[in-house]
Amino acid sequence: MGSRASTLLREEEIEEIKKETGFSHSQITRLYSRFTSLDKGENGTLSREDFQRIPELAINPLGDRIINAFFPEAEDQVNFRGFMRTLAHFRPIEDNSKNVAVSEPLNSRTNKLLFAFRLYDLDRDDKISRDELLQVLRMMVGVNISDEQLGSIADRTIQEADTNGDNSISFSEFIKVLEKVDVEQKMSIRFLH
Amino acid sequence: MPPKRKNHAAIKVEDVGMEIDVASDSGSEDEARRRAKNRRAKPQRKSKPVSDHEEDEEDEEDEAPRKRVRKKKAKPQESDEEDEEDNRSVKRKRSKASRKKAKEESEEESEEDREKRKKRGTDVSKKEKEEQNKEKKGNVKGKQGKNMGGENDKKKKNRKLSSSSSSSSSSSSDSDEESLSEGEIAALKEQVEEKKKLIATLRNKPWRMKRRLVLLKEAQGFVEEFEGALGKGKGRKLYAFKVMMAKKLIKFKRDFENFKTACIPWERKIKDVESHFGSSVASYFIFLRWMYGLNMVLFGFMFGLVVLPEFLMGLPYGSIPRKTVPRKEQDTAMDFSVLTDFGGFCQYSFLFYGYYNSDRMIGVLKFRLPLSYLLVGVGIFGYSLMVVIRTMARNSNEGGDGADEGEFTFSWKMFTSWDYLIGNPETADNKYASITTSFKESIVDEQENQKDENIHLRRFLRVMANFLITCTLGGSGYLIYFVVKRSQDFAKMEQDKLSWLEKNEVEFVMSLLGLVCPPLFETIAELEDYHPRIALKWQLGRIFALFLGNLYTFLFALFDEVNEKLETEKSIRNATIWALAQYYANYSSHFNTTDVPPPNVSPADVIRGPCWENAVGIGFVKLVVSDIQVSYLTILVGDFLRAVIVRFLNYCWCWDLEAGFPSYGEFDISGNVLGLVFNQGMIWMGAFYAPGLVGLNILRLLSSMYYQCWAVMCCNVPHERVFKASRSNNFYMGLLLLVLFLSLLPVVYTIMTLSPSFDCGPFSGQDRMYDVVMETIEQDLPSFLSNIFSYATNPGLILPAVLLMLLALYYLNAVSKGYQQANMDLKRKMKMARDEEKNRRNNKDSTNQVMKDLEDLLPNKSLIPPPIKEEPPPPDAKGSKSPKIKPGAAAKGVNLQKDVSLAAPNPRAPVTYAPGPRRGPPGNARGPQPGPGRGRGRGGPPRRYES
Repeated sequence: MGSRASTLLREEEIEEIKKETGFSHSQITRLYSRFTSLDKGENGTLSREDFQRIPELAINPLGDRIINAFFPEAEDQVNFRGFMRTLAHFRPIEDNSKNVAVSEPLNSRTNKLLFAFRLYDLDRDDKISRDELLQVLRMMVGVNISDEQLGSIADRTIQEADTNGDNSISFSEFIKVLEKVDVEQKMSIRFLH
Repeated sequence: MPPKRKNHAAIKVEDVGMEIDVASDSGSEDEARRRAKNRRAKPQRKSKPVSDHEEDEEDEEDEAPRKRVRKKKAKPQESDEEDEEDNRSVKRKRSKASRKKAKEESEEESEEDREKRKKRGTDVSKKEKEEQNKEKKGNVKGKQGKNMGGENDKKKKNRKLSSSSSSSSSSSSDSDEESLSEGEIAALKEQVEEKKKLIATLRNKPWRMKRRLVLLKEAQGFVEEFEGALGKGKGRKLYAFKVMMAKKLIKFKRDFENFKTACIPWERKIKDVESHFGSSVASYFIFLRWMYGLNMVLFGFMFGLVVLPEFLMGLPYGSIPRKTVPRKEQDTAMDFSVLTDFGGFCQYSFLFYGYYNSDRMIGVLKFRLPLSYLLVGVGIFGYSLMVVIRTMARNSNEGGDGADEGEFTFSWKMFTSWDYLIGNPETADNKYASITTSFKESIVDEQENQKDENIHLRRFLRVMANFLITCTLGGSGYLIYFVVKRSQDFAKMEQDKLSWLEKNEVEFVMSLLGLVCPPLFETIAELEDYHPRIALKWQLGRIFALFLGNLYTFLFALFDEVNEKLETEKSIRNATIWALAQYYANYSSHFNTTDVPPPNVSPADVIRGPCWENAVGIGFVKLVVSDIQVSYLTILVGDFLRAVIVRFLNYCWCWDLEAGFPSYGEFDISGNVLGLVFNQGMIWMGAFYAPGLVGLNILRLLSSMYYQCWAVMCCNVPHERVFKASRSNNFYMGLLLLVLFLSLLPVVYTIMTLSPSFDCGPFSGQDRMYDVVMETIEQDLPSFLSNIFSYATNPGLILPAVLLMLLALYYLNAVSKGYQQANMDLKRKMKMARDEEKNRRNNKDSTNQVMKDLEDLLPNKSLIPPPIKEEPPPPDAKGSKSPKIKPGAAAKGVNLQKDVSLAAPNPRAPVTYAPGPRRGPPGNARGPQPGPGRGRGRGGPPRRYES
C-alpha cells in the first residue's frame, strides 16, 4: 500500500513537503496513504465530512475545532500539503540543532501552543473571550453544570489568566498559563518512520 | 548549499511534470508507476555524464542510503537496483585506489606522531579523495575556505556532538539515527565531510599536540560511526542492521509499555469509577488494589516458606497429637457449625499455629521450619513497614513537584482536560463525566474558600460536636469492655447452655459498633461544616479512634484469656510429666527392664494443653470473618436493597424517594478506608498465629474489589459535594503505618515474653519463641559469628546505637525543615516576581505618574519615547520570568510572538482600563508600588469569584 501511495505522490512534492514540514520521506508516504484512505470522495482533497468520520474526532468535544484547524480560512477542502502542514505541528521536537532553519519550524513550542490557542479562539481575533470559553465549556461538560456555574468558571478562568485586564485571554497570556505544561511532549505524535 | 540548488532545479523540471501528473492522476495505476520509475531514473541518468560534478555525486550518495534503508523494509524497486550497483562498484574502486595512494604518501611522510599513523592512513585517503575533488572543480573551493575559517566554531560544535554521541551508549545513538530523515542525512553527510577535512588538515593547524590528538580521535570516531549511514565504508551493512534493530527495539519498547499498562489490574474498573465518582472514591479503590498487591507478597512469604514446606515435607495429618482432632471432639469435627467457628478439623489444620511441628529440620532439604516460621512472622512486619514507608515517601515526592496549586486551576482544567487519544464512545462518556466532576470539585473548593460566616457560632458548634463524639467513643469503649467481661464469665460456663448470641457477643457488638458509629459521627460532623476534604480527615480520625479502642479492648481480653490458658497449661503439663514418669516407673518395675518403649496411645487420646496460640489465631480469624460478613451485608442491605427499593417503590409512593428522604446511598470513603486499614491490622496481628489468615485476606480483597466496584457503580450516587482526593492517599498510608505499628506491638510482646505451649506449634519445648534464633546461631553458625551476635546484643552497644539514630533523626529533620523553608521562600519569590510583572504591565505609562515624570525629565528619551518605552518591558518581563520558562522555549520565535502581542494591548490599556475596575484599592499614583499589587495577586480580592 505504501508503494502505491508513493507512486501517486511525486518525489519532488515530497521534497517540498519535507522541507516545509520536516517529515521524513517514509513518513510522508505513510501519511499520504492515510490521506488517501480518508479521502472518500477520491478527489485529492479532504472535506470536513472526511474528518468527521474519524472516531477520535467524532467524539471529541473539540473535534469540530480541530477539524477547523485543518482548513484555511473560508475553504472547505484541504489538500495533502495543507494536511501535512497541520500535522507538522504535532511532530516531536528534536533537540539536535543540525539544520537550523531560517524560519521557525512548525513544530516549535510556540507553534504548538498557537495551534491549541486557535482551537479556543473561535472567531480568530487572537483573543479568547468569555463567550468563546463558554462555548467550549458547554461542549466539554454539556448540560451537567448550570449555566451560571459555567459562567463563573469562564470568569474565573479569564481572571486567572488575564494579565492586562481586557477580560480576554491573549496568546501571550495563554502561553503563560501553559508555561508549566509539557506541551512539547503532550502535543507530539510519534509518527511512524 | 549544493543539494538545495540541485533541488531547486529539479523542482523547476518537475513543475512541468506536475501538470502532466495531475492530468493523468485519474489514469491507470500502471501508467503512474511507470511514470514514477521514469522520474526516479531521470536524475540518475542526468548525473552520469557529469559524474565528476560533486554536487550530483552527493545527491546520488544521498539517495543511495535512503534506498538501502527502504530496501530493508520493503521490496526494492527494480530499476534502481542496477544504478545502485553501478554506483557501488564505482565507489569501491575509487576508494581502493585512493587508499593505495594514501599508503604511499604516508610512507614518505615523517612526523613525530608516528604511532598514530596507521590509524590515520585511512583518513588520509579521504583527504586524498577530497583533494582530487578539489582539483576537479573550483567552485567548491570557496566554500571550503569558508569552512576552514569557521572551523573553530564548528569544531566546538562537533566536539560536543561527537563527544555526546560517543560517550552515550550505542543504543541511544542508534535511536538518534533511527529518526534520520533525508534532510538530516544530507546534513550528516556534510558533517562527515567536514570531519574528514578536519582530519586531513589537522597537521597544519597551529594547535598543541594533545588537542590535535583529541580532535583526531573524536573526528575519527565520528566518521567511523556515521560513514555507514552514507552508504560507503565498511560500516554500511552494519549500519543498516543497526537501524533495523533500533527500529525493532523501539517497536518492542512501545509494545512492552502498552503491555505493561494493560497488565495493571483493574485499571479500567477504577477509571470507570473515577470518571463517575471523582478521584476521591477512586483513591479508595487504588488503595484497595495496593493493599492487594502487598498482601499477595505477604501471602507468598507465608505460603512459600511456612505452609508449603510443612505440607510437603512435614508429618502428615493424624501422625502426632497436634495434627489430630482429639477423641472428644471427633464426633463433631466436621459439623458445619463447628467449622464456621473454626473448631474441629479447621483448628487442627495448617491454618493455625498449632499444626506445625517443632522438629528442627524437616525433609530432605533440612528445612528449618521453626526458624523460618519465626523469621517469616517478623519479616512480614519488616516488609510491610518498608513498603508503606517507601510508598509514603514516593507519594510525598510526587506531590511536591506538581504545579503550585491555585495558580491556574481553572485554566488548566479548561485547556488541558480533554484526552485527545480517546477513541471509544464509552470512554468519552466517562471522560465527559470526569471533566464535569473535576469542575465541580473546583467549584466546591472555590466556594469553601470564599465562605465567611459567624465564627463564634461555628466554634461553639465544633466544640459541641467534638464533645458529643468523645462521649460516643467513651460509650462504645465501655460497651466493649462490658461485653468482654461478660464473655469471660460465659466462657467459664457450660458451652452447650449458651445461645449463639451469647457465644458471639463480642464480635457482634464490635461489628455493630463499627456499623452504627461512623454514620453517627458523620451526622454529628454536619454541625462542624468543614470543607469536605477536612471533614473526611476528621471523620477518619474519629473512626480510627473508635476502631482502635475496640481492637485494643479485644486484645486485652485476649491476653486475659491467654494468661488463664497458660495457667491451665502448666497444670496439664505437670500432670502429663507426672503420668509419664508413673508409666515409666510402672513399666520398668513390672517388666524389670530399663528399656521402656514409649506409651502406646493413639494420638487422638493424648492429653494435651489448651494451646493458647491457636485460641489467639482463631480469635483473629473469627474477627476477620465476621468483619467480612458484616461489611458485605452492609453493602447488600444498605446500598443494594436501598437502591432497589428507592428505584422501584418510587412508582407507587407518596413522595419522591429518589430526591427525598432515603435517596440512594453515597459511597462512604472514610468508613471503607478505615475498614480496610483495620482489617489489615488484624491480618498483621493474626498472621503469626494463623498462617492461613493471609490467604483468607487475599480472597477477601479480591472479592471485595469486584463486589464493591459493582456496588458503587450500580447502587451509589456520586457525592453531592465532590472533592478532590489531594494527597489523602498519604493520609491513608499514614493510618496504615500507625496501625502497622500498633499491631506490631502485641505480636512482638508475645514473641518476646510469653512462653509457647509445650505440645503444639513450631516452638513447643522452647522456653521462649526467639530461642530458635539463638539455637541456630549457636549451633549452625561459626563460633565467631555467635560471638559477634552476643556483643551486638550487649546493652552497651545498643544504647549508643539508639542514641546515634536519634541524632541522625534530629539532623535529618532539621535539614528537611531547612529545605522546606527554602522552598517556600522560592515560591514566594516567584509569586512576587510574577505579580510585579503583572503590575508593570497593567500600570503602563499613564497610570504610573512617577515614572512618567521621570521619563519627562530625561532629555534623550523624550525624543523617541515609544520604542524605548515599549521595548524594555518585554525583555524585562522575560528576564523576571526566565527561570520558569523551560530552556528552549525562549527561542527566537517566542520573542517575536511576545513582542507583537504585548505591544497590542499597550496603547489600549491606558484608555479603557487604566484606573481599572479590577483593582481593589483605587488606582492612584501609588498604584505601581508593589504593595497593593502583590496583595492582589495573592490574597482575597482576586479570589472574588461570582457564583
